[in-house]
Amino acid sequence: MITKYFAKVVVKFNPFGKEAKTARLLLSSIPPAQRLQGTQIQTEVLTSQSNKSPIVKITFKDKHEMELDPSTVNFQELSSYFDRHSRQLGLKESIEKS
Amino acid sequence: MQVTRLLGFQIGVGSVARRVGIWSRSYSVGWTKTKLSEHTDGVGRVTVKPIDSRKTFLIDSYKHLMETNPVVLFVHYNNLLKNEDQHYRSLVKQNGGKLTMLRNGVFGAYLKNSHAADPCAPRSRKEQNRKHPLLPLFKGPTAAISFPETNPGSVAKILKLLEKAQDRLFVVGAKVEAEVYDVASLNQFKTLPSKPELQAQLVGLLNVLGGVGLVRTLEAGSQTLYLTLSSHRDNQTSKNEKQE
Repeated sequence: MITKYFAKVVVKFNPFGKEAKTARLLLSSIPPAQRLQGTQIQTEVLTSQSNKSPIVKITFKDKHEMELDPSTVNFQELSSYFDRHSRQLGLKESIEKS
Repeated sequence: MQVTRLLGFQIGVGSVARRVGIWSRSYSVGWTKTKLSEHTDGVGRVTVKPIDSRKTFLIDSYKHLMETNPVVLFVHYNNLLKNEDQHYRSLVKQNGGKLTMLRNGVFGAYLKNSHAADPCAPRSRKEQNRKHPLLPLFKGPTAAISFPETNPGSVAKILKLLEKAQDRLFVVGAKVEAEVYDVASLNQFKTLPSKPELQAQLVGLLNVLGGVGLVRTLEAGSQTLYLTLSSHRDNQTSKNEKQE
């Protein structure tokens, strides 16, 4: 998963629900050095009584926002969904550099 | 030029991932077909993995962790740096707990067999408890903070510390005595007074009430029983006398 272009990551999930695996794998795939470089990570742990729905919301460095419900997808699907925009940003960056 | 190189690299990665997927699938099929292996040590203990293996040791240590500690908090940890890891370990230790990183697969195996006397012994799928309420917590990096005593005060302190840690370390669930708590019920639990305090309150209450009222209340049940039975006996004896 390309996490380099994430500016803000908001994850809400219920650890006992089926969305937990996807959400927690996403959180663990963000390298610790990136936290120090200013990527904001916000997590909220939901319970079975809370009426909020599980969500993964990512703001990229170009202020583009994407969100996805982690209970409907596995981690591979989630990462390919967010990688689509990250690759665009990567391409743009490499063109600008050359 | 760079673009094509980038694409070429990605295709390569994709195919490797697919190959790995196929390999792991065929491996798992092969595993289910083979019979569970068994190992026996000198004392006669039968285990799935060799008796001196790391997995057997870990399952035994998890059994010890879960059975000697009445309160165990399960936390998700996110790629802690070495100094962060040491920092949190020492903080938890200062508050009377112990931080243990868990291996999900091995801990899951322990939970499925935790009802048995020896969780390492070979057991068929039917005999396992595959719906243990804690099982869904072991997906992603998980650690346990264990307390040797049930003390809501120290739990409250740890929860406050973890709030500062934000996304690095956060609680996802807990085991208190024999119950499984989620975050909401854990927040309720931390506000309770500790066990010795509750016992002191009970003793105080009994002292204030004084012996009289309490003794009467405790006696009332047995007294009424005695009265009912004695009246029943009187009835019976009078009936018998009439019959004679």
